[in-house]
Amino acid sequence: MKSGSPAVEAENLVKTYAGDIQAVKGISFAVEAGEAFGLLGPNGAGKTTTIGMLNSTVSPTSGRARLGGRDVARDPIGTRAISSVVFQDSVVDRPLTGRQNLELHLKLWGVRPAEGRARLAELTETVGIADLIDRPVATYSGGERRRMEIVRALLSDPEVVFLDEPTVGLDTRIRHDLFDVIATLRDRTGVTIIMTTHYLDEAERLCDRIAVIDAGTIVACDSPSNFLASIGIEVLEVRADDTQLVVDVLRSHGIAPPDILVIGGTVTASLRTTDGARVLQLLAEASIHVRSATTRSPSLDDVYLRLTGDRITVSSPN
Amino acid sequence: MTITATPPTAVSVQPRPTRSRQVSAIPTLTMRRLTLSVRNSRSVAVPVLTPLLFALVIAPALANTIATPAGRDTYMTYVALATAGLLIPLNCMFSGLGVIVDRQQGAMRELLVAPIRRSSIVVGNLVAALAITALQLAVLIAASALRGASYVTSLHLLWFLAAALLFAILMYGMAEILATRLPSPEEYIGVLPVIAIVPFFFAGTLFPITSLPHWLAAVAKVLPLTHALALFRYGLTEHSGAQALHNIWGMSNVTVMASLSLLVVALFTIAVFTGAVRLFTKGGTS
Repeated sequence: MKSGSPAVEAENLVKTYAGDIQAVKGISFAVEAGEAFGLLGPNGAGKTTTIGMLNSTVSPTSGRARLGGRDVARDPIGTRAISSVVFQDSVVDRPLTGRQNLELHLKLWGVRPAEGRARLAELTETVGIADLIDRPVATYSGGERRRMEIVRALLSDPEVVFLDEPTVGLDTRIRHDLFDVIATLRDRTGVTIIMTTHYLDEAERLCDRIAVIDAGTIVACDSPSNFLASIGIEVLEVRADDTQLVVDVLRSHGIAPPDILVIGGTVTASLRTTDGARVLQLLAEASIHVRSATTRSPSLDDVYLRLTGDRITVSSPN
Repeated sequence: MTITATPPTAVSVQPRPTRSRQVSAIPTLTMRRLTLSVRNSRSVAVPVLTPLLFALVIAPALANTIATPAGRDTYMTYVALATAGLLIPLNCMFSGLGVIVDRQQGAMRELLVAPIRRSSIVVGNLVAALAITALQLAVLIAASALRGASYVTSLHLLWFLAAALLFAILMYGMAEILATRLPSPEEYIGVLPVIAIVPFFFAGTLFPITSLPHWLAAVAKVLPLTHALALFRYGLTEHSGAQALHNIWGMSNVTVMASLSLLVVALFTIAVFTGAVRLFTKGGTS
């Protein structure tokens, strides 16, 4: 990596597909070496397209992407040499064994054979697939295949690894196992990680910073702790027959519109200056029928919904 | 799961891919394709069985059925060489299916983010297709020779080798183009006979193109297979090859006619294979 350069740099990236479909509308961020950076957003937000522009499989309509100080468009092979990708879907030769798949990666990335063999042995042992790498990948479970792909991505000792929804489609236990593996490997290798995910707990667990993408633009970028702090001290969820009445009460007691979210029959409010018990008392005094109410600590789900969901924009009582 | 405590080995990766590195990726990609294509004894037997069947059964049967003035063995040689005009397109076109499978279920996207030129992926697959085609041709010629076909062995063989190589590259280029353009194996299989089989019947395979109606003979003269077949015959039998070349060009100098036919095949090959590489490379980036 060129000294002083961020490991990954996106500068006003724009991607417009045929039919004037704007997938990415000017995304900029910089990721330092060793940092884990999450791209969080709903389906179709532009996360995978952004990753594609960084790994040279999508050509930007405008803007610039750099990896280790190298321009991705001008030096695609050089930037591919210092990075690797774990794709959303499994991308392996299923008839081949795990070892054959891994050795193919070593050869294509130009890793010296002895070093490659040693690293392959260590990484497969670390993630618990050493016993099955001589079996055809077609016989692996989804979780085993994912582990193999994570090992493959790290075999060439890359500076940057792109994880494009690495745990999508896996059951909860395997997902947690896999994230342990990723977190462990990250601690040990110090690799820079760019990850897209739908799972907020994963982003919170792994990422130093998170960019929330919505409709092709970054709507917020901060550390998970700062995001959580921005939500307040407590979150109240109220299910009521008339959500508008609940919103009116919340607004009249100083809760700002951005802190109120209505999804179906549930009103979620981030509480900063009051607590849940006080709000419930106010609702009771207003004779509003509440079907259920819960309070909990803020989570990244709340941040995510606040930034990408149907934020309430009710007009003032006047 | 076992979590070990030792830090992983640091590896040295060549910082910038050099030209030699690009070239060295091709054998790796060829071996990958061959490993995927030839996984068990059945996948070895099937490509060998087809030329054996043609050389040992179909060519002799046709020669026995059709009485030609030149004699049974001459016609058998004629048919055996015609089989090369079927084997090369079929094998190369079927190799294109591997590209679709790679894209849909295999490691294509991993290859596209590898630090190699994307053209290496096409060339690696091509070399694998050429290797299997060469095996089929060797089996065809050896088996038909054992059954009575007579081939001339001289430097003329180079005409055969050059034509077979160029024609196989041309057909693999067609396969790559179709595999890049068509989204599914089903659509690919639908188009395959039009490219690989239909020209076989009009290119002077089982009978000279002079036996075709004039307009169809004119079409046949434009087909690269017609030129390739004439060169196959010129390379391995001389006389029937000279006649086939004369049927195309109508000249008296055989070497000039052979050179012109080789040029035709080469031009088709350059155009199609260059197009295939460009299309694949462009398709690797959306």
